[in-house]
Amino acid sequence: MTATQHTMKNHITIDEWIALFRETGLDATQMQRWHRLFEQRHPEGHRAFLEWLGLDAARVEQIRAAHR
Amino acid sequence: MTKRYTISELARACGLSRATLLYYDRIGLLPSPGRTASGYRVYGGGDLRRLQKIRRFREMGLAIADIQRLLDGKRGPFAAILKKRLNEIGGQIVSLKKQQSLLAGMLKSGGAFPVVDKAQWVAMLRRAGMDEAGMARWHREFERHSPEDHHVFLLSLGIPEAETRAIRRWAQ
Repeated sequence: MTATQHTMKNHITIDEWIALFRETGLDATQMQRWHRLFEQRHPEGHRAFLEWLGLDAARVEQIRAAHR
Repeated sequence: MTKRYTISELARACGLSRATLLYYDRIGLLPSPGRTASGYRVYGGGDLRRLQKIRRFREMGLAIADIQRLLDGKRGPFAAILKKRLNEIGGQIVSLKKQQSLLAGMLKSGGAFPVVDKAQWVAMLRRAGMDEAGMARWHREFERHSPEDHHVFLLSLGIPEAETRAIRRWAQ
């Protein structure tokens, strides 16, 4: 199975991703910093990542704008 | 006796099509020539030289309107027009290189849409405050929680399939 054929079943959601980060070492402040780094250093990558988590265009823009 | 051309002869002489010459005539890029008694266009050496210039400018990708201004002969806009085209090309090169990079990344990842590469990803986590132990924990939790997504995510960072499998094995 190639990565493109990978189905969306049980695809990790943003809430699960946040929980994962929290469980493994990033608190809320650090996550904010991470989003800011992501948006400032790799804006296109940030967008691609948020879309991969299943967020729609409006939500993606909201998160990105908050961290520019 | 100066050289005379019919429109077909002129087209052949400058390497453009007759249709193109008719188009240039229509838009005024090639001044309308004299006519024979029967009404056929008659061109001269000056027209050939002008068309050769037009062709060379088109090869640079310049727009017709800009070529018109260049051929009008004023020195003023000359540099500005060429620089404008150079900037355009520069922009296209940046855009094409971006496409190249995305495609290469996707080929390398076996079909996963690229996000950032591994080095960039690790750098951001470190800067945000995650240490090595934290990253190891993160892989273990990710593998436990969503093994398929873990796999696809590692591929999207440009990590080759073999190394991805190794990371996942170790995280299990």
